[in-house]
Amino acid sequence: MRLLAVFAIAGLIFAGVWLDYRSQMAQVGSGGRGALSTETSPVASTDPASELSGYRADLGHLPDAPLLGFVEIPEGPFLMGSDPGIDTLAYDVERWSAGQPQGTVDVPAFFISRNEVTVAQFGAFVRATGHAADPQALAGPPLHPASFVSWPDALAYCRWLEGLLRQSPATPPELRALFADGWHVTLPTEAQWEKAARGDDGRIFPWGNQLRRDRANFATGTPAPVGELACPECPYGLSDMSGNVWEWTRSPWQPYPYDEADDREGLEGDALWVMRGGSFSDPVRNVRAAIRGAAGPDVRREFIGFRVVITRD
Amino acid sequence: MAAAKRKRGPHRPVSPPPGRTPLESQASISSRSRDLPRIFLVPLVLTLGLLLLSLAPRVADNARLTFAFLAAVAGLLVWQGVLFARLSRAGASRGFRIVLRPQHYLQALVQLTVFAVWGWYWRPVYDFAGLLLAQLIFAYAFDMLLAWSRGECYVLGFGPFPIIFSTNLFLWFTDDWFYLQFLMVGAGFLGKAFVQWRREGRRTHVFNPSAFSLGLFSLVLIATGTSDLTWGQDIATTLTFVPAIYLLLFALGLAVMYFFRVTLVSGFAAVALFGLSALYGAATGVPYFIDSEIPAAVFLGLHLLVTDPSTSPRTRTGKAIFGALYGVGVFGLFWFLEAAGAPTFYDKLLCVPLLNLSVPLIDRFVRSLQSRPRIRRLGEVPWATANLAHMAVWIVFFAAMTATGRTDGIHRGDRLPFWQEACEEGRAGACERLVQIEASYCADNAGWACNELGAHYVEGRIVEPDAALALGFFARACEAQFQAGCVNLLDPSVVSRAPPRPLDLRLLLRQGGLNLVDMPERDLLERACGHGWAFACERLGADVR
Repeated sequence: MRLLAVFAIAGLIFAGVWLDYRSQMAQVGSGGRGALSTETSPVASTDPASELSGYRADLGHLPDAPLLGFVEIPEGPFLMGSDPGIDTLAYDVERWSAGQPQGTVDVPAFFISRNEVTVAQFGAFVRATGHAADPQALAGPPLHPASFVSWPDALAYCRWLEGLLRQSPATPPELRALFADGWHVTLPTEAQWEKAARGDDGRIFPWGNQLRRDRANFATGTPAPVGELACPECPYGLSDMSGNVWEWTRSPWQPYPYDEADDREGLEGDALWVMRGGSFSDPVRNVRAAIRGAAGPDVRREFIGFRVVITRD
Repeated sequence: MAAAKRKRGPHRPVSPPPGRTPLESQASISSRSRDLPRIFLVPLVLTLGLLLLSLAPRVADNARLTFAFLAAVAGLLVWQGVLFARLSRAGASRGFRIVLRPQHYLQALVQLTVFAVWGWYWRPVYDFAGLLLAQLIFAYAFDMLLAWSRGECYVLGFGPFPIIFSTNLFLWFTDDWFYLQFLMVGAGFLGKAFVQWRREGRRTHVFNPSAFSLGLFSLVLIATGTSDLTWGQDIATTLTFVPAIYLLLFALGLAVMYFFRVTLVSGFAAVALFGLSALYGAATGVPYFIDSEIPAAVFLGLHLLVTDPSTSPRTRTGKAIFGALYGVGVFGLFWFLEAAGAPTFYDKLLCVPLLNLSVPLIDRFVRSLQSRPRIRRLGEVPWATANLAHMAVWIVFFAAMTATGRTDGIHRGDRLPFWQEACEEGRAGACERLVQIEASYCADNAGWACNELGAHYVEGRIVEPDAALALGFFARACEAQFQAGCVNLLDPSVVSRAPPRPLDLRLLLRQGGLNLVDMPERDLLERACGHGWAFACERLGADVR
């Protein structure tokens, strides 16, 4: 009888501990101390952005627009880098080479999202995958640019979005055809980004050579909803290529002249990846179309976000 | 019923302690029933001490840790309240018998020395001091109330010290799960009090108390896959942060051997383990344990965990068999746990309770041997003389181990290039070990190791290909700013590799312990070259050593 009581008490203690363990694990999601786990964000099971009008909840809150907000950038050469003779605010790192201020780069056609990736869009990805994201990345208003996103976070989002668009019957036929032809979703290269921002005429800002405060959110100290400042004068009508948040690219930080072929060289130093466009906290000098910034891939900051491209290479 | 209890008197007769030495001293403090409140002040003060400790910043800042303390305090208060009421009603009394046993305080001193040195090189040990003190207070109060509840006089001495220290040299629960630590301590004392048998004419506990609770909790942690609630893995690996840890444990072990005549247990355990490891190494070309023939934590175990005189055989032959079985048990358990995918640090814990259970069998076997004259003559040599002879042999054996690089210093298993080469050559288990070692370094944020793991999962040569896992490791490498990991994450169809950066080398060359954070880059490269990293030798302009 006494033995039975001992087993009963031990059983009760074990059951209590086990219930406690289960409830703790439920709170931290799939986290733990395993080799691949990092801290996870507390993800609500319901989508707080499900009622956003003008966006497709079934397609990861991409815009309910032709090609889901992707804009085609045609194939062709453009002028990359800065000529200090024209752009007096240019930094040295924007110079093409010792003897040449700018260079011409031929960029194949690609599609780029009109707006930066939003909190709602990034949240849809985190909810769908359980990706370990910084909780601050999901804390902003749904239409603000997703920030506190590392470079691997951004790439993980691209992979997920490609999978979603490949599988969903709601994906527009034009995009489905691209995927069937081997195109994929990723971050833009530095060259793709700059061409999409300034076109092929070498302008200083996406809208022209003169500063305009109604076209970009910069030096304000706070991010704005994506696309709030439309840019009809921009060569491809993209929003926030200047300011709002810096945007990750898939180009490693290397001195000009730009050459995609050497991206897998120089792997022995610390990693730095190019980001473009400046942010809400930057002065005018940092929101020019040719501005080049760089950050470690693990960096998660309020002023760094990203946008995506659909590209063949 | 109350009358019957009263008839039993204040104390049960207590048999004299075994192996009493001249160092042992005794005194009694018994109570009459009217002194009961005064006697119960002792557990009350201990409980209040525990409550006071719950106000320490580490405890107060963590709601779950605070809960653990308050639950322990509440449990003790309820227990002493109920017991006090019961004894008052029955007019019974309780008391203490102060017995200072050297096997308690000397062992505690040795264990405390290990904590002090270990903490010097691994800060969490010092940070843990408050929680260690809390366990001691809890243990005294718990043990006292348990003895009084069983109608016994409490033997007040240093008894709880070696139990708590020994437990904590091998397993702690994390702060969020610290209530399990209190449960583990309680389980140890319950096991000591209730799981007993008659041996050599007197009742004694079956299990080494710390090994019992460690074994019990280890089994549950393994079965439920919840080892991450503990610091077990860190504890097992950070002991080697202490330079010359083997020498330290050896020296401390000599003191234990001298006073308690356990040389045969430790010595035979070491010989068995070393012999089996050496045989395995000779047969396969790779070491059995990664960091040495006898891992430091196991070396600690064979000196301080398995050597409890009351739960091991009393005869010399019995002690030798007991020690050898511990060595064989650790060897077998390491293999079993690794094959089962469970953490291998439990190897040194799980076999102790089984060995405790086997003591009567060993005793019986030894008695059957003693009919042989040669064995009987050996037993006629006085203990003290024989023990000194055993210690001399042990010193020679340890010196031989050290001279052949089997203790402190660089061990071939510490060198990653050794495992890469062994894996390339297809030596037994080498690729699995390589992956295991890289996973461990990756978990420490060595970007190089994460990138290598990702590459293995893309290439599928030494592990089953797994694209998702590969991307996860590349992402982790990239977050650790290892550029090859980033380019692989971008396009895993072409795997890029790069040699470890200085940042990675500071982790990869720790050799289980050294702090290389401030080592100049040239020294780091020299060390890497010494470990067989060809790129480092090339950079230094030297040949691969």
